[in-house]
Amino acid sequence: MTALLELEEVRCGYGPTSVLHGVSLSVPDGGIVSLLGANGAGKTTTLRAITGGVPWTGEIRFAGQSLRHKPTEDIVRGGIAHVPEGRGILTELTVDENLRLGEHTRKDRAGVRKDYDRVFEYFPVLRERRKLSASTLSGGEQQMLAVGRALLMSPRLMLLDEPSLGLAPIVVRSIFEIIRTINEADHVAVLLVEQNARLALEISTQAYVLEVGRIAVHGASADLKGNDSVRRSYLGY
Amino acid sequence: MQRIRNAPPLYFLGVIVLLFFIGLPTVVSSFQSSEWTQVLIFAIVIMGLNILVGYSGQISLGHGALMAVGAYTSAILIHRYQVDYLLTIPIAGLLTGLVGFVLGIPALRLSALYLALATFALAVVAPSLIKRPVQLTGGVQGILLTPPDPPQFAKDGFAAVTGGLGMTSDQWMYYVSLVLALLLFWLAWNIVRHRPGRAMRAIRDREVAAAASGINVAAYKTMAFGISAFYAGIGGALYGLSIGFVSPDTFPLALSFQLLVGAVIGGLASITGPLVGGIFTFWLPIVSSQFVASQPWIPTGIAAAFKNAGPQVTYGALLIVIMIFAPNGVVGLVTVGYARLQARLRGAGDRGSGQMPSDPQTV
Amino acid sequence: MQEFIQQVVSGIASGGIFASLALALVLIYNAMGLVNFAQGEMAMFATFIAYTLISHGVNYFIAFPLTLGLAFIGGVLIERAVIRPVERAPVLTLVIVTLGLATLINGAAGFLFGYTPNYFSSPFSAHTVNILGAFASYQDLSVIAVSGIVLVAIYLLLQRTTLGLTLRAAAHHPEASRLLGVRVSWMLALGWGLASAVGAVSGIMVAPILLLEPNMMQTIIIYAFAAAVLGGIDSPLGAVVGGLIVGVTVNLVGAYVVGGDLELAVALAIIIGVLVIKPNGLFGRAAARNV
Repeated sequence: MTALLELEEVRCGYGPTSVLHGVSLSVPDGGIVSLLGANGAGKTTTLRAITGGVPWTGEIRFAGQSLRHKPTEDIVRGGIAHVPEGRGILTELTVDENLRLGEHTRKDRAGVRKDYDRVFEYFPVLRERRKLSASTLSGGEQQMLAVGRALLMSPRLMLLDEPSLGLAPIVVRSIFEIIRTINEADHVAVLLVEQNARLALEISTQAYVLEVGRIAVHGASADLKGNDSVRRSYLGY
Repeated sequence: MQRIRNAPPLYFLGVIVLLFFIGLPTVVSSFQSSEWTQVLIFAIVIMGLNILVGYSGQISLGHGALMAVGAYTSAILIHRYQVDYLLTIPIAGLLTGLVGFVLGIPALRLSALYLALATFALAVVAPSLIKRPVQLTGGVQGILLTPPDPPQFAKDGFAAVTGGLGMTSDQWMYYVSLVLALLLFWLAWNIVRHRPGRAMRAIRDREVAAAASGINVAAYKTMAFGISAFYAGIGGALYGLSIGFVSPDTFPLALSFQLLVGAVIGGLASITGPLVGGIFTFWLPIVSSQFVASQPWIPTGIAAAFKNAGPQVTYGALLIVIMIFAPNGVVGLVTVGYARLQARLRGAGDRGSGQMPSDPQTV
Repeated sequence: MQEFIQQVVSGIASGGIFASLALALVLIYNAMGLVNFAQGEMAMFATFIAYTLISHGVNYFIAFPLTLGLAFIGGVLIERAVIRPVERAPVLTLVIVTLGLATLINGAAGFLFGYTPNYFSSPFSAHTVNILGAFASYQDLSVIAVSGIVLVAIYLLLQRTTLGLTLRAAAHHPEASRLLGVRVSWMLALGWGLASAVGAVSGIMVAPILLLEPNMMQTIIIYAFAAAVLGGIDSPLGAVVGGLIVGVTVNLVGAYVVGGDLELAVALAIIIGVLVIKPNGLFGRAAARNV
């Protein structure tokens, strides 16, 4: 069975600097894959390439369709939700308005109503602060808003860029639990970029380790977790 | 001999241009000389505007108003206080420079857009402000100036070169403007080449970084305003003298805009740009209206309407097209094109050398 | 006292006109951080279109909304054709492009409609109505009413509809909005269309008062700048409040203090004053300062 998301020999960079030197990876339908590596390895760039934020060569296919030359808005409308570095919260708008933007392209209003219920079930604080400006939320709450908004997009694939960054461990745990729930309940695939390798390996089935723009290691998460030398060399623990 | 052979072709071009300008009045009519005087005056003002916009990165849509300050200073000094007209020129320059410097102080706090807005408003309101103090400025009527008579040595020199022709006041003003333009060009070139220029460019490109490396940003920015106003003041004084009068409507908003356009089209942050800009600013309205009218295949009705509307429409359209395709202006295009040509002649072997392209303003 | 109230009412009417044009400026500023120096000329051109329609027998109350629709389309086209290629250019380039656009539109209006001033008749008679013992003309009251309706309509559009939401999102957070499927580029074009339509209101309202000719809006734009700067260049509410304050102040100061010919200078003084004392204006949050 073909993977939901496939990257083949993707190269890209910013101006004269090349960041990715031939990255190949795939995400199976409904699976959770983590993309690990040190700062500057190219993890964020990989996600940006997928949603068209940076030009690339090679091939990127989603559900069998090439994403080459597709503008970001169309890629995202095709079923990929991307929670970027920094969470991409629209701070000039309210919490409710942020959520509405998540579902504004959807036609199935009944499904949307159900999804709102679920979002508020997972993240009750969002219902409480619904009418407030999104800028009043704490870091953890903003992450919840970002994930909730992504859920409202009813995507087939979620790209999460460092969801644990700057959050207290207990908040991180609960968010990761919800991500796992979403994955299992809605069959939403997840490509997770994380620096916190341990957490990422716990939740994902497969992992890729990116080093200076190339995939250095790839395998089942369980294997990587158990492999001491890999952990020490690449994962820092 | 070696130095002459090694001198960049641009020096030769410069010499030719200089000879062209020196010799011009001897071969064209007096009226045409006065037209070229206007070109030189615009070039002077644009030189100053260039220092402000191109080198220190601040926008001004109000340089027409600054020209008015210079023009009225000179006119009032001549008319009411009988000051010698040549003396009024540097006085006008200095006074306007001071005004510019003072304007530059609140300008420090404004972002580029707000500065554009404020100077735009200034330019629009200036005529009505000038009209008010009627005693001083002559109100709506303005002030009439008698064209200055050329001094004897100039008349003699001119007659000697042209085989006996008399020198008119227009031709004399042309030479006065030319000399000033050359002096001011030399001055601008030195400013740009040395520390003030480098500091200003640093401020333009990365103000925060410039401040961090110890450059007194406020001082240089207000200084840039002052200098550019100085140039505008001199240009304004010359303008009044060369056309023989000043009035509030001689300096409308359109003039400020045309000056900015001239600076941009000539090429910002370039030293030769202002001359191209001056030529463009003066000739475009004339050429475009005459050009359309003279084309036989355009029906007379349209040609006539175009004569009224043409320059503006052409102006606006040309401007937009240039900004889209050549934001570095004509000189920028030429420099880039020339550099590319040179590279191709030399052989394009240094693709991968990773060299940064050279600064277009190293003229 | 009667005259004072008249001046105030008149000032409010002027304020409505300034507020509409200022709102157009604010809409575009919010969309792309740019002050559209061509806004006045675009409004003038739209007014000429209205005038042409009315001259050919179209009823004023049909020509008005029709013109707004055409102005909307015009704004979208201008954004697509002229602004889009330079969307990401530095400020100076954009300023020059909008000024070039202003020159072009002014010239085109002269070319198409001529420079002779036209008398634009409004269906609202100059008859007066008695308010608090003073006389306010139907003309002024209608301007106040129409401006009010338009401003409220824009408010509702922006705050209560999904379209308005996506417009605001695209304006303030273009990159993040793209990731949510918002077609940011088209939102920009729509923003221009909307601004163009709102500006057209200002032109149509002012035409019966001044005479309709290509240079009609050149002073109005200064007042609109003053209103937008006073209210805060990124605040629609500010545009409205600023417009009213500018309208009343200029009228009163012109009538009682400096004389009608210096009214424009009053606007300049407001602009300079605000920029020196409180650059963000009353309600603005944008950084008017350098970084």
